Amino acid sequence: MEHASVIFLWIAYLLYAGAFAVFVVQFLTRSPTLTRVGLVVAAVGLVFQTVAIIFRGFSAGHVPFAGAYESLVMVAWSVALVWHVLESFTRIRAVGLYVLPVVLILLTVAWVEYKPPAQLVPALRSDIVILHVIVMLTAIGCLYVAGGAGIIYLIEEALLRRRRAGGVLGRLPSLGALEKLIYHATLLGLPFLTAGMLAGIIRAETFNVPSWWIDPMVLLALFAWALYAVLLWGRVRADWVGGRLAWLAVTGLVVLLVIRFAAVPYFSGFHTYGG
Amino acid sequence: MLVVVTGISHKTASLELRERLALDEAGALRMARELLDGGAACEALALSTCNRTELYLYGRDSPAARRAAVERLAQHAGAAAAELEPSLYSYSGDAAIAHLFRVTSSLDSMVVGEAQIVAQMKAAYQQACEGGCTSVVFNRLFRHALEVGKRVRTETAIGERPVSVSSAAVELALQVFGKLKDHTVLIVGAGDTSELTATHLKAHGIERILVTNRTFAAAEELARRVGGRAVPFEDLEGHLAAADIVISSTSAPHFVVTRELVERALKRRRHRPIFLIDIAVPRDLDPEIDRVRNAYLYDIDDLQRVVEQNRGEREKEAHHAERIVAEELRSVNDWLRSLEVVPTIATLRGAVEQIRRAELERLGGKLADLSDEQRARVDMLTASIVNKILHMPTVKMKEVAGSRDCALYVDAVRTLFDLGGNGSAQESHDDVPEGAAAEDAADVGASAVAHDLDTAAGGPPGATIHHLRGTGTDDA
Repeated sequence: MEHASVIFLWIAYLLYAGAFAVFVVQFLTRSPTLTRVGLVVAAVGLVFQTVAIIFRGFSAGHVPFAGAYESLVMVAWSVALVWHVLESFTRIRAVGLYVLPVVLILLTVAWVEYKPPAQLVPALRSDIVILHVIVMLTAIGCLYVAGGAGIIYLIEEALLRRRRAGGVLGRLPSLGALEKLIYHATLLGLPFLTAGMLAGIIRAETFNVPSWWIDPMVLLALFAWALYAVLLWGRVRADWVGGRLAWLAVTGLVVLLVIRFAAVPYFSGFHTYGG
Repeated sequence: MLVVVTGISHKTASLELRERLALDEAGALRMARELLDGGAACEALALSTCNRTELYLYGRDSPAARRAAVERLAQHAGAAAAELEPSLYSYSGDAAIAHLFRVTSSLDSMVVGEAQIVAQMKAAYQQACEGGCTSVVFNRLFRHALEVGKRVRTETAIGERPVSVSSAAVELALQVFGKLKDHTVLIVGAGDTSELTATHLKAHGIERILVTNRTFAAAEELARRVGGRAVPFEDLEGHLAAADIVISSTSAPHFVVTRELVERALKRRRHRPIFLIDIAVPRDLDPEIDRVRNAYLYDIDDLQRVVEQNRGEREKEAHHAERIVAEELRSVNDWLRSLEVVPTIATLRGAVEQIRRAELERLGGKLADLSDEQRARVDMLTASIVNKILHMPTVKMKEVAGSRDCALYVDAVRTLFDLGGNGSAQESHDDVPEGAAAEDAADVGASAVAHDLDTAAGGPPGATIHHLRGTGTDDA
């Protein structure tokens, strides 16, 4: 089972890489057909990754979210899934070029951290923990996509301001579309983030985790939550458009990355199971 | 038999001459007809667009065809042929076909990559076709040319980037807003370019067009033309607050819109992005506006730069397109060669001779009892039958060689005997209902000839025979 899972994940990895190559060619040639080809290839990759995760779950005997390998594979999967869902809703056709490298990097780090499946540590054997993790991963997928869109937005705006239209026209999604993507991704991600944090708090309270509220990671997560709440509030009030939303989304992304790659492994008192 | 083209284009002739030579639809057809009736050509087609007037001819004597065409053109222009001569270009054979392909691919156009020429060529061809001026060769050739045009368009990015100031402005607006539906454009001043840009924007789905001008009557006039609404010039700030795209082209010597005005307007529109295009010289919009958050300002120079870049890209794509043209030229050439009478007769004779030999060989065992002399007689007998049968077709084909119907005959012979080198055989099947096509194939012979060939042990190899067998078994 574990063998099959690894093989499927490799196939998914290759498909993602292939889709990325297609998007690169699309960027150079600006062919609209290639966008669709890239999307389909990536979607097949997503299916393979889904199967790989299910197999891993069977071989580990639990939902595979423990340890660096499993959690990174899950985050990559969630990013790819959210991207596809939003893509089918918003019909923005050119974000693959920017989403796929993120997925590929996450998967590459996951490979480096590969560990064979193991039993869950007792602290994680709880339904509310599984709920907490799954909901959080979905939120992270959404907010990574929002942050990525924010980065493209800022780059594109700078290029337009500098009159480098040649690098932009027909290659990058329009500013309007990116703004919409930031908004929709955050709108989707924030409720999940809220629910995930609530689940975490309930779990911490019921198990009497000592002073969980001053954990650096919890504080950063609260900060990120506030950022996204401000973003949505600003957008809905309609005073805030474009650049400001993009900056907020990018800041949020930075906070999330700090949480994942600095706070969790080095500073957090608990939450260390993610590796 | 050669394809000849002669004519003038924006590259060789002045606008004045092009105007004199321009043909309307009826004129084009009449000119083609006259050339056919004059016996200068077997097939003829006249193409006339605002940038070129060209005559395509298919005839035996290409210099004569060209002369007739030039005279006809001179007559139309009301000038002497010698006067026209310096502005004319002429190609024959391969060069003429290459020219046709390049024209249809818009490689020869004033704006490389423009899309109109395919439609114009199609219309010219359809007209000539309905008018009975084209036949086997031109039907095939022009259809092929239209295919080449389509191929170049889909396989290269030659027509992708806009190369006019107004369409570049529209593309930039699209890049900022994504969709233009539900957006408003404000036109300040009533210039030609702003009208053109407004028309482009409308084609991309923009719904509300506001027009304002110092003289209200001019604004009303332009608003009527582009289907917009004229608004008073005094409340410029209010209009700026309502507009997502602003196109300015007044003849004012000073800035019409200042940074402060845009800042106030943006506040009123709650900072939704605004895209301002300044196509006036001297400029209407204060360049400082570009520093305002969510305001994007492009002036005429910026747009020109975009256009230049895009032109450069089209040039690059043109190389790719030339390769496609060369490739297609080879394929159409093979077919044209096969339409020559002499090689067709030779192929026909070769094919039938091979059938004869195959049959003799198949009977080899049964003829074993015969004496050498008797065998020689059988051989002579069969050869003589073949010769008798082929005599009339050979004579008839030689008779029509060089006449108008020549290609028709050759094409028919190649199709009936399935001699290969004949692309139109497949093409014509498209026009025939499937059942009928299959029936034809069975009649031609699949059942008898091919079946026998299959049973013939180690029949002689030969492309034609194999071809026959291939068709036969497929349909049997």
